Amino acid sequence: MDLAVKYKYLYFMLIPGVVWYFIYKYLPLYGLVIAFKEYNFSLGMLGSPWVGLKHFRFLFTFPDFYSILRNTLIINFYNLVFGFPAPIIIALLLNEIYNTTFKRTIQTVIYFPHFLSWVILGGIIIQLLGPNEGLVNQIIKYFGGEPVNFLTRSEYFRGIIVGTNILKEAGWGAIIYLAALSGIDTEQYEAAIIDGANRWQKLIYITLPGIMNTIVVMLILRVGYLLDVGFEQIYVLYNSTVYDVGDVLSTYIYRIGIQGMRFSLTTAIGLFQSVIGFILIILTNKIARKFSEVSMW
Amino acid sequence: MYATARRSNTGFFIAGFLLLFAVLTFFPFYYVIVASFSDANLIREGHILLLPQGFTPGAYKMILANDRFIHCFYMSVLRTALGLVINLTLQCLVAYPLSRKYLPGRRYFMMYIIFAMLFNGGIIPTYLIVKGTGLLDTIFALVIPGAVSTWNVILLRSFFENIPESLEESAKMDGANDMYIFIRIILPLSMPVMMTIGLFIAVYHWNAFMDAVIYITSSKFQVLQIFLRDMVVYLEKAALLGDGTMSPDVSSISLRSAAILTSTIPIIIVYPFIQKYFIKGVMIGAIKG
Repeated sequence: MDLAVKYKYLYFMLIPGVVWYFIYKYLPLYGLVIAFKEYNFSLGMLGSPWVGLKHFRFLFTFPDFYSILRNTLIINFYNLVFGFPAPIIIALLLNEIYNTTFKRTIQTVIYFPHFLSWVILGGIIIQLLGPNEGLVNQIIKYFGGEPVNFLTRSEYFRGIIVGTNILKEAGWGAIIYLAALSGIDTEQYEAAIIDGANRWQKLIYITLPGIMNTIVVMLILRVGYLLDVGFEQIYVLYNSTVYDVGDVLSTYIYRIGIQGMRFSLTTAIGLFQSVIGFILIILTNKIARKFSEVSMW
Repeated sequence: MYATARRSNTGFFIAGFLLLFAVLTFFPFYYVIVASFSDANLIREGHILLLPQGFTPGAYKMILANDRFIHCFYMSVLRTALGLVINLTLQCLVAYPLSRKYLPGRRYFMMYIIFAMLFNGGIIPTYLIVKGTGLLDTIFALVIPGAVSTWNVILLRSFFENIPESLEESAKMDGANDMYIFIRIILPLSMPVMMTIGLFIAVYHWNAFMDAVIYITSSKFQVLQIFLRDMVVYLEKAALLGDGTMSPDVSSISLRSAAILTSTIPIIIVYPFIQKYFIKGVMIGAIKG
């Protein structure tokens, strides 16, 4: 106990944080148990009765669940295929610019949308794509076409989600790669020029290997979020006519869980998400370790 | 940088592509600025909105006079200020002791907070706890559940660790206790890190939306983002609380745009600071490690 007295101020300082973590991080973790219970308001977390795997069995036989899961995976897949390379490409392109003023101006512009909320950006998108007053449709009408209500059409929705996500985040995402690029040894480039390498060769043999570690780590992190399509973006941009392609796990959990108050069921979904995400990270990490020299651990 | 004054085609292409992307990124914003100053009727009639049509600041006058807008704006400011103070304080209080390598049990505390970062209960269980602690429908629901970011704590801890031990040692020899050292010595030296983290906390709170949606039900604590959602996303004029006094030359699109723009002003103000503190920091950090 001497130690406790000696460091009493330090321990004292830790108390608020420790308590906070307990209440708002560990208690909810315990709260996951209601995925295996039939949560009842008056009985609370502890008192509600156990029902075992009932909710999971329900989910796996519930057709809507599969379409929601499918939407989540498809949107995330598109985000991966288009959205993941975007910041890398931007960083690589920016790296080729020598004019610092131009470079800095471009960066200032493309970083900015990251700092706007989806309510704001989504609101702007909604106005732009509006059926009558929206700019896109005004242009279409000007050329004699029929206006299209883009946001209510299932065929456009996923594209809108992925595209606007890139506009918002690709610029900011490039920062990590720009930082990695600045860590590449310039001597390698100089040697390459002497050997007569052109732009492409420099890219393939020096630049890409130089940032491959960063790319792999980012990819591993990204894969862990595969079931986790952002709530805010979809919530702002979706509507009931595009539920069939746009409803994802997070929005479904919100509608059925918070609004519909089906706590146990949606906790089960959340648990499902976390477990799968965890497995995915471990898998990707294993694969990464086989194919490259770097992994998360 | 090796100096070659090549004017290759590829160089042009690259610059052009980046320019295109920047324009695309900036355009929605430009559009909103233009729309907010435009005459609504002209837009309705189909005039294309690339330059302000019938320049009028009417939309701004209406928005700034709207009670609910002002109230929600104030709520966002309150939330951001509260969040800034609470988050920073709590995070520093956790980070500092953990930065003292001699603290017994330091490893276990670290594991305690890192484990919590990796595994969390999810939306619903957290919601139930928030409900259980009586925070629901209060401004604290927006500030307390997210108060500590383990990421930030680790950042702060690294920073505190890097402060030379000699400072602490000489202070201790003069009889200072840990609290005094923390407040009078460590904190003043930590201003740069505080500014950076503080900026991000502030921006986060200003933009935060999902927690307000989930935890706030009454209109008393609705933040600006909720107002915007009602107005811009729900397209409900009800957001302006039944005003039949709509000035005829201001339409919903101008009004919405004015609301959006006004809500973005704090971000615009803060943006240069973010550029200055954070981006440089990332680049420096990259070179070091």
